[in-house]
Amino acid sequence: MIYLKLALTALCPVFATVCLYFLYQKTELGRWKARHKQLFYGCVFGIVSVFCSEFGTPAYGVIINVRDAAPLCAGLIFGSPAGILAGIIGGVERWFAVLWGAGVYTRLACSLSTVIAGFFGAVLRKWMFDNKKPAWYYGFAIGLVMEVLHMLMIFFTNMGDVHRAFTFVKTCSAPMMLANAVSVMLSLMAVSFIGKEKLQVQSEYKKLSQTFSRWLLFVVIAAFSVTSIFIYLLQTSFSVSEREALLALNIEDVKADIEDASDENLLKLTYGVADDINAAMTVDNNLLLEIREKPGNDFSEINIINESGIIIYSTTNEYIGFDMSSGEQSGDFLVLLNGEQEFVQSYQPLSKDGITYMKYAGAALKDGGFVQVGYNAERFRQDIDKQVIGVTRNRHIGESGCMIVSTDDWNIVSDPYGNEGKNLKVTDIWIDTEKMQENVRYRSSVYGEDSYLMYAVAEGYYIIAAMPVKEVLFSRDLSVYVTLFMEILVFVILFAMVYFLIKKLVVENIHKINRTLGEITGGNLNVSVNVRTNEEFVSLSDDINSTVMTLKGYIAEAAARIDKELEVAKIIQSSTLPGIFPPYPDRSDFDIFATMDTAKEVGGDFYDFYLLDENRLAFLIADVSGKGITAAMFMMKAKTLLKSYAEKETDVAGILTETNRALCEGNEAEMFVTCFMGILNLESYTLTFANAGHNPPLIRQRDGAFKYLVFRPGFVLGEMEQIRYRIGEIPFAPGDEIYLYTDGVTEATNSSIELYGNDRLLEVLNTACGRSAEEVCRIVKNDVDRFVGEAPQFDDITMLHLRLLPKNRITVIPTMESITRVMAFVEHTLESFHVPGKVMVKMNIAVDEIFSNIVRYSGAGEAKVECRVGQKEITVIFTDDGCPYDPTGKPDPDTTALAEERDSGGMGIFIVKSFMDSVEYSYRDEKNILILKKQFVPCPK
Amino acid sequence: MMITKNLNEDELTVKIAGRLETVTAPKLEEEFKTCLRGVKTLIMNLENLEYISSAGLRVLFSAQKTMNKQGKMIVRNVNEDVMEVFEVTGSVDVLTIVND
Repeated sequence: MIYLKLALTALCPVFATVCLYFLYQKTELGRWKARHKQLFYGCVFGIVSVFCSEFGTPAYGVIINVRDAAPLCAGLIFGSPAGILAGIIGGVERWFAVLWGAGVYTRLACSLSTVIAGFFGAVLRKWMFDNKKPAWYYGFAIGLVMEVLHMLMIFFTNMGDVHRAFTFVKTCSAPMMLANAVSVMLSLMAVSFIGKEKLQVQSEYKKLSQTFSRWLLFVVIAAFSVTSIFIYLLQTSFSVSEREALLALNIEDVKADIEDASDENLLKLTYGVADDINAAMTVDNNLLLEIREKPGNDFSEINIINESGIIIYSTTNEYIGFDMSSGEQSGDFLVLLNGEQEFVQSYQPLSKDGITYMKYAGAALKDGGFVQVGYNAERFRQDIDKQVIGVTRNRHIGESGCMIVSTDDWNIVSDPYGNEGKNLKVTDIWIDTEKMQENVRYRSSVYGEDSYLMYAVAEGYYIIAAMPVKEVLFSRDLSVYVTLFMEILVFVILFAMVYFLIKKLVVENIHKINRTLGEITGGNLNVSVNVRTNEEFVSLSDDINSTVMTLKGYIAEAAARIDKELEVAKIIQSSTLPGIFPPYPDRSDFDIFATMDTAKEVGGDFYDFYLLDENRLAFLIADVSGKGITAAMFMMKAKTLLKSYAEKETDVAGILTETNRALCEGNEAEMFVTCFMGILNLESYTLTFANAGHNPPLIRQRDGAFKYLVFRPGFVLGEMEQIRYRIGEIPFAPGDEIYLYTDGVTEATNSSIELYGNDRLLEVLNTACGRSAEEVCRIVKNDVDRFVGEAPQFDDITMLHLRLLPKNRITVIPTMESITRVMAFVEHTLESFHVPGKVMVKMNIAVDEIFSNIVRYSGAGEAKVECRVGQKEITVIFTDDGCPYDPTGKPDPDTTALAEERDSGGMGIFIVKSFMDSVEYSYRDEKNILILKKQFVPCPK
Repeated sequence: MMITKNLNEDELTVKIAGRLETVTAPKLEEEFKTCLRGVKTLIMNLENLEYISSAGLRVLFSAQKTMNKQGKMIVRNVNEDVMEVFEVTGSVDVLTIVND
């Protein structure tokens, strides 16, 4: 019943913890200010502490309670301030609880320890558990230690009354320690169960301090057990032997007192007898009998011994003639013949028979010899019983030990409880005289109290000294308890010390080094480890620093090498892109320009363009995922594939489809390319294109504004094998422009992390309408550069601009009259390009010859003459819809024939062939196409 | 093209300025049809001829053929460009070219 109540009060803090925890999680409480929360928690646990205190469990004269558990729970679970507050509330209440009936005796101890409990929980939470809830087993240990402290407080506040303090401690220590410890433990368990959280993050590996603590625990417990056992044994044997000595001393005292008393008595009588004998005229047996019968002479025997040591007279006739020197007991008296005046012998058996107990005294006689007077047992007792009572009755041994004297027939002579005359049985004392020796400690019950006993026999009395075992062992128990408690405290202090020292000296430094290492791993090689608290860490720091320095050197070296390689890669990469502008100096019908500004690294951007034939220009822009060498190599592969398929495939979607298939094969690196490719037909003025996931190009048609080409792009190249790309087709007339770019343009970023963006690009392009391709690219690039400012360039900036120039062409119905117009058209064109006169003459002749042929022989309804002047080459293209006729196939005329034999046919084309650098004929789309080309060196303007 | 004729007894000097090409050649051809009658020496002064095409050559050859029957034809003052045409076409072997 007592323990049930104790258990119930012990559950109060657990209940409070659970309630508050729920409140914290489910209600407004969680959102209170920290200060208010702490105040609230502190008050609640303070009240719980008071409650537990007031409803303490009375047991064996003390009140057992779980006052300390609540402040501990508050401090450990809810925060340091709450713990301190709860402790103070509980402590103060206990101080004043005396007014309404609480014990005064432990007032100070209990009040103080409750306050300390609050601080204890608070300090542990803050310094030991890093403001986290500790695990349940820590809670148990903390509760235990707190109560140990409490018990020690009881001792220390009651040093003047150690016995009572000890009684308190002995009674309440075990239940209180257990109750408080379990209460704190259960609270922590409950919280961890509700919170479903691991209170202390359990790592797979033990913490350094845990390992230390564990070993420390083992060692301390071992040392602690050994010392405890040792102290126990030592204290036991020490206490017992000390008490034994005390018992012996007391017995000795009493014995001496009794003997002294009887000796004195007998001697006095002996001197009286000696005087009577000395005064007597005649000495004989009768005289002795007379003397014995004298009142006051209550002894039993008188002997007179002559100078030879022989009994000559005696009240007992049979003794006459006995030689005193024949026995040890009687021989002792012979000292009286050697000058001693008196001699008293202790009560002992006679030499004569060894059974009869007698006490003798002797005195020297005036005329030589001596007289011996003896008590028999009965006489002797009558004589000294009173004195025996006097010396033993009020004698105490230690606090509660006593002396009992009994006769040899076990009648009590003296005892502290007035049982004289009764048999020794009433005292429960039991002596087996045969087995138990005198003056040897043994254990028996004395008046129901387990006691240590010792007995001695003196003058026929059994002198028994007894001391309760309880008293004997009190000091042992006291020191064992105090030692135990102190050791627990010492362990806790050691534990905490080791914990802090390791944390301070090792763990924190390791964390510090780890943080720096983390930074180094993160790429910052410029930090250095600098832990200089002790030699080991200084050396570790220096080692790490020098390792990092060495690494830095290697990295720099490697970086330099890689940089160099990248530089070369970059050069190779850009050399594979068409880099000479204008790329087709003899083509005046289109204007193309492209530029790639690589970022620091080798990127994966590229562009390309090539004439598939006279009238079809393929152009593309692409962006390989990723950067660096792999991207560059993938780019080369893609570029090569695109070009080779461009030569085989006729349509642009087919080129992308085939390229994609080829790229997907063995694309282990999982790279991909986005690509926009177009094929511009310079004859039919159509642009066909396909898009593999690339940014939409900007297009400007019919003198409008630039706009993004709306066309749903296909998937990127190199990712999925089965993709078929769609083809787009738009008219693309002279004057139309198309601008291709990579995301390096639109995603160029300035220092405010803004992107250049599609809108800015559109805007700037519209300011550059009609400019040459090179100018357009330059204007956009400048605008991007201006936008980016000082911010670094992360991506390649690549762009391609293509502009279809208005054609320089004349269309006529081939008649003789039209020849003049055609001639004038060509001449005019050449003049405007400052073609030298000599070249003009040849061109004129050639045009005259060719076109007159068309007029005369082709039967065409329409003929076109286009004249392009490049930087070094003139191209004249004749197209007619007449019947197929290849003038270049004609045999050369015989230039050696006489005038009469000359056939002027074939002469014209022969002149043309001679004067032109190339004459090409083809028949396509039901049209004769003849292309003349003539190189020239332009006149200086 | 401008044709200037100067008949001195039986020696006709024809001066051609401009271009002798498909369009202009028929005009010269027409001239020769009428003016070569009775001419023993035909002097073609090509000083001012810019260039000549195969059509022009054909007219010259035709004149040469006519003159071969009735006398001779001398081509004079042939400039570089025209000379080039003559050389390419082997006309130098057919025509009598005299440069001052």
